[in-house]
Amino acid sequence: MEVTSVVQLDQTKAKDECLNLSLRPLQVSDVDDFMVWASDEKVTRFCTWEPYTNKEDGLNYIKNTVVPHPWFRAICVDDRPVGAISVSANSGNDKCRGELGYVLASKYWGKGIVTRAVKMVVDTIFVEWPHLERLEALVDVENVGSQRVLEKAGFQREGVLRKYFILKGRSRDMVMFSLLSTDYHS
Amino acid sequence: MEVDLSKITLRPFKLEDADDFLLFAGDDQVTNYLRWQTLSSKQEALDHIKDVCIPHPWRRSICIDNCSIGFISIFPFSGEEDRFKANIGYGVAVKYWGHGIATKALKMAVPQFFADFPDVVRLEAFIDAKNLGSQRVVEKTGFQKEGMLRKYAYMKGKLRDMFIYSFLSTDLPANP
Repeated sequence: MEVTSVVQLDQTKAKDECLNLSLRPLQVSDVDDFMVWASDEKVTRFCTWEPYTNKEDGLNYIKNTVVPHPWFRAICVDDRPVGAISVSANSGNDKCRGELGYVLASKYWGKGIVTRAVKMVVDTIFVEWPHLERLEALVDVENVGSQRVLEKAGFQREGVLRKYFILKGRSRDMVMFSLLSTDYHS
Repeated sequence: MEVDLSKITLRPFKLEDADDFLLFAGDDQVTNYLRWQTLSSKQEALDHIKDVCIPHPWRRSICIDNCSIGFISIFPFSGEEDRFKANIGYGVAVKYWGHGIATKALKMAVPQFFADFPDVVRLEAFIDAKNLGSQRVVEKTGFQKEGMLRKYAYMKGKLRDMFIYSFLSTDLPANP
């Protein structure tokens, strides 16, 4: 019995790793797929925004925020968007720094998808943005899954910033992670 | 030089402070780790006091015998999401380094600031990894070191590692 379950676990893991993953721009025509994760309160738990309740708001978000964004991609499985990943840009003395954010439909959690997506971003962002020295991410202290993603993707944990953020009216401690272009190239 | 720390006071800047202001704001050693450009004339000092110090949400002159020998600047962030946070910076004339003046001044300033800005919960300081003196000042004042932010920002054209420190309103000693 034990041998069979080990084989099954390996097969599931192998299947997850074979998932056809890609990154591409998110478009207005993707709004129905967007609503799947954006309306899910499990997904939005650590997001600053409340779950979306209507498609009109989803369309406005894609048109007004996603399309003009400096770097925003849909995470796709077999070309269907199941989440999103983005890097924000800064200007002036802060130009060396970009902030990574990501979100994934809960049905796809636990398969290593976001870790793979982060690695894909890391492989390209330092080339697309040669001025970028530091990619950072801030994660709620309670969001252990997201912390593991960044650790597996090679980010360094720099410290806990106390009451750094107000999330839905409550102050939160956040863990700061970073990956430098020099970390990546070594 | 003996310094009597009980003579250290904080007050808003006045135009009359221009000569004293230039003594520290015109010194590269003081402005080295600040975003300010070193000032080079009394007129620039007057302009800076008029255009920056006086309208500033919370900037104080550090004084000995009412004479300005440095500054403390605390800037609350703007915007709905960020007004609970503020950033602190300070500088003291080189002649007065090594006497605990900055620490004394910060220990006076921090509770005053939180009283003046009751919405602020988190006061943070970004200190260059090489600025050991300033790290000691904030640590003695009671700031907590949270971590080192590698290659965090450019300062005067160079990419810097910075320690991030915080002092929360809840870190203030409870009133007796």
